[in-house]
Amino acid sequence: MTYEEAQRELEQIVQQLESGQADLDSAIKLWERGEELHRICLEKLDSAQGKIETLRPTEPA
Amino acid sequence: MKVEAEQYGDRTVYSVSAFNRGVAAWLTRLPTVWVEGEVTELRRQERWQSVFFTLKDPGDGACLPVSMPRGQFDALRLDLVDGERAHVYGRPELFEARGDFRLRALSIERFGLGDHLAALERLKQKLAAEGLFAPARKGRLPRFPRRVGLVTGNDAAAKRDVLTAITTRFPPARVVVAETYVQGPRAAPALATALQDLCAQQDVDVIVLARGGGSFEDLLPFSDERLVRAVAACSVPVVSAVGHEQDTPLTDLAADARASTPSVAARLVVPDADELRERLTQTRRRLQGAPLLLLERKRARLDGAYGRLRALSPRATLERGYAIVRTDDQIVRASQGLQPGSRVEVELGEGGFGATVEETR
Repeated sequence: MTYEEAQRELEQIVQQLESGQADLDSAIKLWERGEELHRICLEKLDSAQGKIETLRPTEPA
Repeated sequence: MKVEAEQYGDRTVYSVSAFNRGVAAWLTRLPTVWVEGEVTELRRQERWQSVFFTLKDPGDGACLPVSMPRGQFDALRLDLVDGERAHVYGRPELFEARGDFRLRALSIERFGLGDHLAALERLKQKLAAEGLFAPARKGRLPRFPRRVGLVTGNDAAAKRDVLTAITTRFPPARVVVAETYVQGPRAAPALATALQDLCAQQDVDVIVLARGGGSFEDLLPFSDERLVRAVAACSVPVVSAVGHEQDTPLTDLAADARASTPSVAARLVVPDADELRERLTQTRRRLQGAPLLLLERKRARLDGAYGRLRALSPRATLERGYAIVRTDDQIVRASQGLQPGSRVEVELGEGGFGATVEETR
């Protein structure tokens, strides 16, 4: 899952919860999923350190 | 050519006119040659037979006056301006009346910058006509690229500037760098190859083509047809970060976006980690508030429903002093069905009682 996907799903869940349309049981499931997504986003932002690689150049034809 | 001279004893003396004429005649024996220099002090007037300018050696500043018949000069349609380099084909000549030495030009060709500029303009027109620069061709840059490709010279500055700008803005960024020539005759094909190599890499979602500032000639590879076509054909969006604000190499036009500085390039290709964090924090806050909000809403709805239920209940009516009369568990709405002696049940706001009908009306 990419950061973008996680962020989008998380924001959708929050909207869904705030709209008050979910019943209590599914609201609890949504909330748990939201917490998980938040954790995924944080990990992607914080723990994933940047990486710089160098590509070996090929000789131009 | 014979030049008249006067003899003063054993001294042969020439008149100025004769001397000039003699030197002029001798000069005509010199070959016609090409001379290269910068055009300066260009003077052209309608009433003059000739156009004059000075060719200056950019090396040491040596000067050579040049003249050319105005008709011929105009026919060349060169629109020469001061400072341009030119190749002048001509032969040396002495203007006898003044003893001025100069180069009599037979032809002039623009050289260097001018030639390149003209070629560049032609190429630009051609590629534009093909639609290579059309806005419709431009792809959208990804907001969260998995990996960023960077084509740059192995000279430190441009590479370091772009990398620093990217990793400062978005520390988790993953960048793949392809180093190559960015200057000289090998640069254009090498850059195009590097671009294609990066494009073929897995997960590279955007490519930055970076080159620091330089002279017009230095940046020429970035207007090379091979590279410009490679940029336009690249299946991954390309950001052209070449030279400074005032430079417009053709890659700027063919790329999906142009960046005038490394930090602009970084803004285009990676998200701002701080902004993301802030947004995430706010979303989390909403997420955490959501269950309570939901419960409160459900509770409010329940209260509302209960209130309406109570309002509709007959009990409220009974409490106001009305009574319900039943017989055989049926509510009595009219006296017709009742006979004296019928047994009825009466329900009150509080409690009730059984009764026997005495008379009906």
